[in-house]
Amino acid sequence: MRNKLLLLTISIALPAWAHHAFSAEFDEKKPLKLVGRVTKMDWINPHAWIHLDVKDADGKTVSWMVELGPPNALLKRGWNKNSLPEGTQIVVDGYQSKDGELRLNGRDLTFPDGKKLFAGSSGTGAPDERPEK
Amino acid sequence: MSQRYFVLLGILAIVTSASAQTAKKWTAPKTPWGDPDLQGWFTNLQEDGTPLERPDQFAGRQLDEIKGEELAAIKRATQQRTITSFQGPLHAPENWWQKDLHLDQGSQAWLVVDPPDGKIPPLTQEAKDRAAARASARRASGRGPADSWEDLTLYDRCITRGLPGSMMPVIYGNSYQIVQSPGFVSIRYEMVHETRIIPLDGRPHAGSDIRSYMGDARGHWDGDTLVVETTNFRDDGTFRNANGATLRLIERFKRTAKDKVRWSVTVDDPKTWTRPWTFSMPLTMDDSQPVLEYSCHEGNLGLVNILKAARAEEKKAANAK
Repeated sequence: MRNKLLLLTISIALPAWAHHAFSAEFDEKKPLKLVGRVTKMDWINPHAWIHLDVKDADGKTVSWMVELGPPNALLKRGWNKNSLPEGTQIVVDGYQSKDGELRLNGRDLTFPDGKKLFAGSSGTGAPDERPEK
Repeated sequence: MSQRYFVLLGILAIVTSASAQTAKKWTAPKTPWGDPDLQGWFTNLQEDGTPLERPDQFAGRQLDEIKGEELAAIKRATQQRTITSFQGPLHAPENWWQKDLHLDQGSQAWLVVDPPDGKIPPLTQEAKDRAAARASARRASGRGPADSWEDLTLYDRCITRGLPGSMMPVIYGNSYQIVQSPGFVSIRYEMVHETRIIPLDGRPHAGSDIRSYMGDARGHWDGDTLVVETTNFRDDGTFRNANGATLRLIERFKRTAKDKVRWSVTVDDPKTWTRPWTFSMPLTMDDSQPVLEYSCHEGNLGLVNILKAARAEEKKAANAK
């Protein structure tokens, strides 16, 4: 019952708002918290990506990709090219891709000193991010 | 009272009256060659939360009646609703992103200004038949939502948001630039990376067999208003499933204040709607919102990932049988 309630809360929290519909790519039933080291940041459109080395349950280092918002939106929210230098230890909250590969739709990003940045991958929850058809 | 005091009062009175006159006497600026000057960086991010049609709660009321505190309360509610919809086990603290929304600064309760009831006119029978035929053909094809990249929208594919989609406010990418030269007006759209170059010299439209996503635009000045008529649309990706060959969009751009241009769009397609209709909203000049690079197709990993997700779902469904 508790699990059901949690899932219900998550699905309410995720209206359709992304350049790409969130649900076409990511699984709202797979929220995850990753702790890892930045190996690279791709400042590409329509979404920027962080490459992150993370230790899995067996202690093996695996490489995750974390999807962010578009570079332009990140820039206007206070990010810059020095925000995530290689080697930075971060914690990322987000949702895993539906195909089970090591990709995450990033939501919140926390630095070791507690400073946070909003990744804003799927927008900020505005009523209708998709253009008029 | 000293003479100095009166001199000071006098100066103050002159300055005050001069600045009041400046405020009253604002006139739309002109370019060096005498056209109305619309140039600058603009955004309409503030209208992202404004519905296209009049919400039922305002039935019987006119758009210009909804103002002042009533409008402000609606806009605050829109902002709050959006924030609430984002609450959940994973969400960013409000102060990280709310300031980027600006939905509380929206200036209208809805966008359709004609017909006066704020509703898009009914579809023609032909438009209904066309939509039904398309849906039926889609069903008959047996295709899923993401069998191929071709099943995804032109926006998903980073091709275009079309017209007027390229200037419809969404969560990001709402930056535009208007640039003029003698005989031409250019409009740049951040998302998706388009520029329209609009001739003003009265040349005729391209032949009817030349059709494009952004259409064929021709402009002229009607007093201080730039009027742009765009035709020759392709059939895929037209605004609200209009008929590409007969859709005619008439845009009007008029500078209404130092930092505002009012943009209105009349949508005319007798094969789709029973009458033309018009929506309108302000564009706000904002130097902090320049058009930035949005080379969307370059890194569109999302497209591949959507197809992979669809294959994974199919496999999961097959295994469950």
